[in-house]
Amino acid sequence: MKHAVLLMAAATLWGGQALAGDFTVTVRGADGKPVPDAVVMVYPNGQPTKGPIKFPWPYRVAQQNIQFSPFMLVVPVGAEVSFPNLDKVRHHVYSFSPGNKFEIKLYGHEENRTAKMSAPGAVAIGCNIHDQMVGFIRVVDTAYAGKTDANGVVTIQDVPPGAVTAKLWHPYMRALKNERALTTTSLGAGPARETVAIDLRAPAEHH
Amino acid sequence: MFTRLQTKLTVLYAGLFALALSLIAVTVYVAIAHNAQRAVREELAASGTVFDRVWALRTQRLHDGAELLSRDFGFRAAVATHDGPTIESAVGNLRQRLGLDLAFTVGVDGEVKGVDPSRLDLQKLWSALDARDDAQGVFTIDGQPYQVISAPILSPTLAGWVVFAAKLDEREMQALEKLSAIGLDAQVFDQRGEQWISADRGPANAALAAFVGQAMRGRLREPAMLGAGGAQSLVLVKPIQALDRASGAALVLRYPMAQAMAPYRPLMAAVLVVGLIGAALVAAASWALSRGLAKPITALDVAARRLQRGEEVTVEVNTRDEIGRLADSFNLMASEIRQREADMIRQALHDSETGLPNRRALEREIERRLAGLAPGEQVVISTIGFDRFPQVRAAIGYEQATQLVAKLGQRVAATVPGVVVGRLTTSILCTISAASDMDSVLRRAERFVPSLEAPILIGGEPVDVHVSHGLAATTAGELDASRLIERALIALDQARAARKKLMSFDAAAYGDPSANLSLMSEMLEAVRRGQLYLNHQPKLDLRTGLITGVEALARWNHPTRGFLRPDLFVGMAEETGHIRALTDYVLDQAIEDQARLAAAGHDVLMSVNISGRLIDDHAFADHALARVAATGARLCFEITETAVIGNPDVALGVLERFAEAGVSVSIDDYGSGLSSLAYLKQIRADELKIDKAFVMTLQAGDKDALLVKSTVDLAHSLGMKVTAEGVETREGLAALQLMGCDLAQGYHIAKPMALDALVAFLDRWSIDLPEEARRKA
Repeated sequence: MKHAVLLMAAATLWGGQALAGDFTVTVRGADGKPVPDAVVMVYPNGQPTKGPIKFPWPYRVAQQNIQFSPFMLVVPVGAEVSFPNLDKVRHHVYSFSPGNKFEIKLYGHEENRTAKMSAPGAVAIGCNIHDQMVGFIRVVDTAYAGKTDANGVVTIQDVPPGAVTAKLWHPYMRALKNERALTTTSLGAGPARETVAIDLRAPAEHH
Repeated sequence: MFTRLQTKLTVLYAGLFALALSLIAVTVYVAIAHNAQRAVREELAASGTVFDRVWALRTQRLHDGAELLSRDFGFRAAVATHDGPTIESAVGNLRQRLGLDLAFTVGVDGEVKGVDPSRLDLQKLWSALDARDDAQGVFTIDGQPYQVISAPILSPTLAGWVVFAAKLDEREMQALEKLSAIGLDAQVFDQRGEQWISADRGPANAALAAFVGQAMRGRLREPAMLGAGGAQSLVLVKPIQALDRASGAALVLRYPMAQAMAPYRPLMAAVLVVGLIGAALVAAASWALSRGLAKPITALDVAARRLQRGEEVTVEVNTRDEIGRLADSFNLMASEIRQREADMIRQALHDSETGLPNRRALEREIERRLAGLAPGEQVVISTIGFDRFPQVRAAIGYEQATQLVAKLGQRVAATVPGVVVGRLTTSILCTISAASDMDSVLRRAERFVPSLEAPILIGGEPVDVHVSHGLAATTAGELDASRLIERALIALDQARAARKKLMSFDAAAYGDPSANLSLMSEMLEAVRRGQLYLNHQPKLDLRTGLITGVEALARWNHPTRGFLRPDLFVGMAEETGHIRALTDYVLDQAIEDQARLAAAGHDVLMSVNISGRLIDDHAFADHALARVAATGARLCFEITETAVIGNPDVALGVLERFAEAGVSVSIDDYGSGLSSLAYLKQIRADELKIDKAFVMTLQAGDKDALLVKSTVDLAHSLGMKVTAEGVETREGLAALQLMGCDLAQGYHIAKPMALDALVAFLDRWSIDLPEEARRKA
């Protein structure tokens, strides 16, 4: 928890002071409100990152207050994501997402289970007991990825200058595979910015 | 419109009842129809609500099933992993368990499992499912409407939808119809473009489809009446959610009004039948009632008409109501009218003094007999007149005289068999004989007449009866009753004139009085045309043997009737007031003739007869004297002695004037009337003419001779000359000469003659009068 707070503060600091090679994307909804949890993926020269990728945030999706926390997690391919249960009730976490199918059957408080994210793509996670619990893990194959904060802003740091392919993904975005390409196709030595507006679908209701 | 009271009343009452009944029937019908409609409306509304509930329950059930499946972890896993066989078996299993027509899944990627995708309009379906969660509603599959229920498959994000579909076919609708208390007709309509089409029924009902469209557009949520007449039905249109909201669907609940009214039909029929029976009863009752009312009125009407015709009538009415009293009054009135009529007839046909039938009654009886007379038969009547009745009446008094007439009537009736006796005038009775020809009546009369004259006892005293009889007869068509009576009266006059007891009417003696009326106008015409002329009869002076005068006599040769007797037209002229014109003519002609005679050398005194009616006429006197003065004529006016009686003072004055003017005055026809010595004294006459009645039969030594002799002496002593008329023999002439008569006139001397003949007569006149007389004179 403390780690998360620190990370959030650091992200805010970076977002406020963009350095050279930083690519900042601001995402707003059709209503102009900031859209959090939108994932931006940048591929220099359109290529995935070779070699291991390490993000500074923990690869962890806790279950707290019958919710997945965070709602959205960005992890590299092959990351081991832990699913600590902070609730007093049991959960049955699963994913049917292709390539990243897993099922963590009933487990109780303070129990920590992990699942390996072996394929890039979107992973929708749910709880078989609590239908309203929905979370997402975006498994990426690039080191230049991040999700927007509560202000709908994300800054991808130290992207090598040159041609890039940038994509924006959000699980509820009205688009094929909930994904769209960003307009920025190359980055210079300095920071770059892009603001994008997306149309969100209302999440499926759970009764 | 109706002339009969009965019809009028019947139509009125039956009509009123029928009207009232019709109103009741209409009210009942309207109330029933209203009630039935309301009941159907309520039922429809209730059915609509039930339908909503059924629909909701069914939806819920299907949805529950769908959701159950969609939440199943294994199923979700199968969907997520695109495990087709597992999915299909799972939905198939549930389809069977829930008795569904269709069950399938649609993936978010549009992949369909569990049904042949070609049966579906996938694009539309996917859009509808994607548009909202748990989309449900009517959706058309294979051209058939289905109730479609969906549930999302979340794994945990939306992977697809479980879709259940139940066919909304006739079976389903029938199930729904069974839920209703009334026999509803339920149909589902869905919208195809602008058209609304019944999904489960054969040929489309265009009117209904149009109505549904209208109701849906107008958001009409209340039951409404559709159609007209027998095909009228109440329709409730309930919108049903369509799966895709763009299109629409509707549940149409329909209930034919005929069906709603069906339970009331026996009631309506009963009302109608009872009404008809009631109307018939009222018609019959009012017919009977009005008959009872109208029948006596009709009877009264008939009786009144019969009464009008003079028939004897009595109205039989037994009721004690107003009509009964009216009938009583009518009968009373009728009998009083008859009584009064009888009295009036009696009074009209009877003499009130004697109680004998009067003239009108006699005329009626005569007419009655004439009408029944056979050819050749006669009605014979006789008038019986009291002789000298005024004298008898004066002698015995008015009342007894009337009694005398009555008793004579009774006697006639008693004496003559079969006779009808009536009173014609105060003193004349009339009998209608039973015999039918004059001859037999005459024969019988000979027998009866004497017996009628026996004295009649009046107040115990015998009174002599003297009567004369006048008979007249007529055949049918010859005379009417009044003419016959007139003739009988004339016959009576004729009998009295002839101093006979009995005479039948003498037509020849009576002549033709009616023709005489026209005679006067003809006479005036004759005066103008010269058809009248004068004949002159010479007067011989017995002393000198000379003709010293002539009497001018008017003569008339009538163009068609020939020579008319002077006493006829002179008498008529006197009676009709035309004597003045005649006298004026005679006077003028006499003056003219005298002048001619004078011219021929004969100076004669011209005598002219002056009617008694002109003697008291100063205007005539003025005229006559003026003529005399103008011509210097020498005239003698012969005046009948009795004529002056009318107005003696004036007449005597006029005679004075004549005398003063030098006109001689002669008293004519002396001795024939009731000669009055008083008048003889008063009249200043120059001459007295002795009536020929004394002269014609004059023989020496008889009474007439003595009368003539004394009259001559009387006249002479009064200073008058005497002329004897009617001298027809030489002996008579001689006797008159001996008696001292001054002048003579008669056939022995000369007949009246025309002027020319007179001139010739005078020219050769000579007479050998007895010397003795001449000497004596």
